[in-house]
Amino acid sequence: MGYEHNVLALNPGHECDRICAFIREQVYTVYRRSGIVVGLSGGVDSSVTAALAVRAIGRDNVVGLVLPEKESNPVSSRFAAGHAAALGIACREIDITPTVDSVGGYAWRDEYISRLVPGYGPGCKYNIILPSDLLDRDAFSFYTLQVQMPDGSLKKKRLSADTFRALAAFASIKIRARMVHLYWEAERRDMIVAGTTNKTEFILGDICKYGDAGTDIEPILHLYKNQVYQLARYLDVSKEIIDRQPSPDTFSLPVSDQEFFFRIPFEKLDLLLYSWERGAKVEEAAAALSLGEDAVRRAFRDFTSKNTATAHIREVPRALP
Amino acid sequence: MDTASDKTGVSSLPVQQEIINFIRENFIAGRSDVSFGVEDSLIETKIMDSTGVLELVTFLEERFSITIADEELVPENLDSVKNLVNFLRSKGIE
Repeated sequence: MGYEHNVLALNPGHECDRICAFIREQVYTVYRRSGIVVGLSGGVDSSVTAALAVRAIGRDNVVGLVLPEKESNPVSSRFAAGHAAALGIACREIDITPTVDSVGGYAWRDEYISRLVPGYGPGCKYNIILPSDLLDRDAFSFYTLQVQMPDGSLKKKRLSADTFRALAAFASIKIRARMVHLYWEAERRDMIVAGTTNKTEFILGDICKYGDAGTDIEPILHLYKNQVYQLARYLDVSKEIIDRQPSPDTFSLPVSDQEFFFRIPFEKLDLLLYSWERGAKVEEAAAALSLGEDAVRRAFRDFTSKNTATAHIREVPRALP
Repeated sequence: MDTASDKTGVSSLPVQQEIINFIRENFIAGRSDVSFGVEDSLIETKIMDSTGVLELVTFLEERFSITIADEELVPENLDSVKNLVNFLRSKGIE
């Protein structure tokens, strides 16, 4: 089996037809609803999903929701609204800040961070990051809290398991708040919610249980990120969205998906993941991808670790037979 | 292959046993079907996941009163019982 660079190449027209048939069957036959609601983040995954939905069931049956909160990058909403306008779909923007705050979110989070990084307060921004490029340098996936002080200086603090869990739980409130708004919109319109998760995120667990994983259908879940870009170009998604660096857009200090979670550039990540999924030998994948064996070994170890830690997200809640 | 309860492979048994106990209590508690050798990769055997590494580091720092630098959070130091014992020895913990 080959693991070369063209192994993930799609026939985009054929793939779009296949996904559109799936969407139509799910909406009209399986769920028996009237349309689709999709959350638009201004990123490539949700843009492709919305474009596929329009292609499948028509623009009058698709609703886009733009769901920023007070720490979102304003560019996200602008790109999302622009994409909805280009598709000709109904679009609503709802600020989810009050929903997040109703769980006690921001104040709790601010106090928590101020205990970890003294001096954190108004005017500060933060994110959490993993060690940089795993292919160049070995390191386990430990998170570092970065706080940008009002004067622009950075303070850093390595997170323990407990502190990581607390900050991740807060971040998940934002993602779950979006799920609540999506279902509120979908159910009263007799529609279903389309998820926007891709295969790269799903396998490695860059998804939130009952957040962005809380959906009715997942039209692009079988596609690696690289393949989503192929469809984006085919579907004429705008260049500004395609060229935009993927980001969780969850933290007040911007961070890329690579810095926050993946640790490997997408052009290499997907081929490595494809190889790992198929049980490729390290030396075999290294030769095919022109990478060092140590680098491939580190990537495979990281995939195993993330896939194991997030297995529960990919399963339905367990119960007795 | 040495098993985790064997006395071969690494000489500093008390430290080794503490590590083994931590792994058993925190990563494989209640799973009688899981066994591991002192040289087995804790990640590749799926005994320890990415969050588990953080738990392990907190345990080591608190139990042995050491500081572990970011640069030291590598498999060579932390991914097997034997590596952990050798790493602690390099920190003066016997």
